[in-house]
Amino acid sequence: MKEQGIQLKNISGNNLEQCLKCSICTVYCPVSAVSPEYPGPKHSGPDQERYRLKDTKFFDETLKMCLNCKRCEVACPSGVRIADIIQSARIEHSKKRPALRDVMLANTDFVGTMANIVAPVVNVTLGLKPVKAVLHGVMGVDKHRTFPAYSSQKFETWYKKFAAAKQDSFKHHVSYFHGCYVNYNYPQLGKDLVKVMNAIGYGVHLLEKEQCCGVALIANGLSKQATRQGNNNMRAIRKSYKEQNRMVLTTSSTCTFTMRDEYKHVLKIENEDVREGISLATRYLYRLVESGKVKLAFRKDFKIRTAYHSACHMEKMGWVVYSTELMKMIPGLELIMLDSQCCGIAGTYGFKKENYERSQKIGAGLFDQIKSLNPDCVSTDCETCKWQIEMSTGYDVINPISILADAIDVEETMRLNNV
Amino acid sequence: MKYDVVIIGGGLSALTAGITLASNGKRVCMVAAGQNSLHFSSGSFDFLGYDADGNAVTNPIEAIKTLPTIHPYRIIGEENIGSLVTSAQALLSDAGVETKGEIAQNHYRITPIGTIKPTWLTIEGYATAASLTETRWKKADLINIQGFLDFPIEFLVDNLRDTGTTCTIRNINTEALTQARKSPTEMRATNVAKYLDSKTDLMDFANAINAIDSDAEVVLVPAVLGLNNSAQAEELKALVKKPIEFIATMPPSVSGMRTSTLLKRKFMALGGTILVSDTAVSGVFENNRLVSIATSQLPDEVLRADQFILASGSFLSHGLKSDYEKVYEPVLGVDVEAVANRVEWTKENVYDAQPYMEFGVKTDAQFHALKEGVAIENLYAAGSILCGNNDIKLASKEGVAMLTALQVANIIKEK
Repeated sequence: MKEQGIQLKNISGNNLEQCLKCSICTVYCPVSAVSPEYPGPKHSGPDQERYRLKDTKFFDETLKMCLNCKRCEVACPSGVRIADIIQSARIEHSKKRPALRDVMLANTDFVGTMANIVAPVVNVTLGLKPVKAVLHGVMGVDKHRTFPAYSSQKFETWYKKFAAAKQDSFKHHVSYFHGCYVNYNYPQLGKDLVKVMNAIGYGVHLLEKEQCCGVALIANGLSKQATRQGNNNMRAIRKSYKEQNRMVLTTSSTCTFTMRDEYKHVLKIENEDVREGISLATRYLYRLVESGKVKLAFRKDFKIRTAYHSACHMEKMGWVVYSTELMKMIPGLELIMLDSQCCGIAGTYGFKKENYERSQKIGAGLFDQIKSLNPDCVSTDCETCKWQIEMSTGYDVINPISILADAIDVEETMRLNNV
Repeated sequence: MKYDVVIIGGGLSALTAGITLASNGKRVCMVAAGQNSLHFSSGSFDFLGYDADGNAVTNPIEAIKTLPTIHPYRIIGEENIGSLVTSAQALLSDAGVETKGEIAQNHYRITPIGTIKPTWLTIEGYATAASLTETRWKKADLINIQGFLDFPIEFLVDNLRDTGTTCTIRNINTEALTQARKSPTEMRATNVAKYLDSKTDLMDFANAINAIDSDAEVVLVPAVLGLNNSAQAEELKALVKKPIEFIATMPPSVSGMRTSTLLKRKFMALGGTILVSDTAVSGVFENNRLVSIATSQLPDEVLRADQFILASGSFLSHGLKSDYEKVYEPVLGVDVEAVANRVEWTKENVYDAQPYMEFGVKTDAQFHALKEGVAIENLYAAGSILCGNNDIKLASKEGVAMLTALQVANIIKEK
């Protein structure tokens, strides 16, 4: 039922005026729980916003301690977009220029391109103690961090060489926003998606000039660059979704969330017309199977016991159910739900020297739970959660799409779908 | 998506129904927008604290007779109440929420400002009074965590003195609490609990209490321990030499968060699905049945189910809404019992029984929600959204939430 009456007109930015001051957001803030220097979401968000609206001098640099995990928004019973208020305030009022380190961490695609070229050297070098010491001391990248390894072949390169040619031969078609992580660090996930989609008769295509979604740019105070890249991505996605009639699939919850929600709420990029054209691949697949359009066959010998970690932005999108219901379709898979809590990495946040300790403290409860459950692997839809959990627990962390790719019986699936 | 049962809401009522149905083998999905109002609970579960005339109730079952026939307890029927109460207590205990109290006779809880109220169940370890007018101690040490915002210490001292206890305020500080105080605006119960979470920090806290030199019989400690279970509170009891009892704090409360966490864990462990961060927005009806509902986060998806439960709460949780013309139920547009004339919704004196508190969804005798006067066969309403219950004046919130949910779940189980 639609809301009616004059009160409908009574709206405020990010639902600010709906805040009852109940403090439930603070109860679920992972940063507040470990860092008393952070004033907490209620205070940093709606409380201080009232002052900031009057005078920008009330802006407080402690707002950069916010992870932008959105758990405050998930907890809010009144629909206040608390983290959006905080991020918007940082963009509008922060006078601090991003340091070289932040610019480098934020430019995942530029750094990725450079690193791919010399991947073996970079991977070894980033692991060396003296290099880590320089990164830590000079750059402020924490020495405890293990850098995700760079792949020597980009996903795009692999795709063009080995996959592109046959994609047009399929009956149905989708586009794939692979994101920086798949392209530079872990092409296997992209290959897995192509394997699954091809098995059900869907050709996978790259977007015309994909750029980094910009989530790290937003987090590091480079919102202008993020807006430029966002506009470019929207152009590419619009072409795919509206002109070519191809859904744009993703395998990263954060890229998805950024393009669907942060573009509009934080960067003010108009995306309403294509928002529903961007979907996490698990959601798209679940819906194809559920509607009976597609059938999956699974290997009889596949067996795995996996603990699912609800990444913050998955939780915020409300899409955990798609990935978990899809995995539940695999007969040999036992699924355990981990308590929903932040792992502490929040993209580039946990890489920074000043955040490292906080980042590990935030994730401590999750790491303990994983160790005590001792699953075959952890599964999650977020790549930075993967780095954090792998580094902190030693357990492999696998994207549900990769689990699916491993579990399906390709030939039988192709037969079932008349491919 | 198709489930056996879809529940709109994620609070005490929704969780009670969800756990009961999931343990009966049903596939249950809960759509919960934001966290629930259990977070505002102060450590007790009320059943019926006051009768319709405002007199304190000793025997709650007996007092149900004084309630008007529209009240949910009267709809459940006297013959069913006893077994539902037993189920409710078992459900809490099974989920790890340990309580004391019994339905045969109300006991007396101590509020965060030190007043005394009749109640049904109280979280184990929380302080209770001997009667409406007497506490249990002559002399008590009242622990004051410096900078803690949710413990109105002067009110406590005054009110407890009026009911027989002389309190001495004992200021306590530890390293962890000094840390926490760096964020003065966040010195709330749940945050303080996080700072006392480690064994060493708890030990420091216990040592600070043990260092108090006094002849008091009891140490009264604000309830700031144990977000996930009661182990920490037990540990503190073991570490402190004197007997300690916990005094409930202002919300958001540790006991409320713990209860909510434990019930959700139980529900998920039984295979239940919770769609967090999602809001039910509309429903499709056909032939007096609710076929499906739509939610805000799954715009091109519908949730289908054989049975639906509407447990979305009252005005606070947006289960009911009002505009300048009417009071309405915003998701499904089911019938609401409310006075038409807006001027009569409220009484000027805030302490009077407010008429709007009794507004809510109309049902038949089996809690089927009505739409345009006709009962919807597979849609039930439970908890605070029901009409006829002023849960503040009657002190009946948790009892109504749990019992109506259990009643509805039992009806569904038999289908």
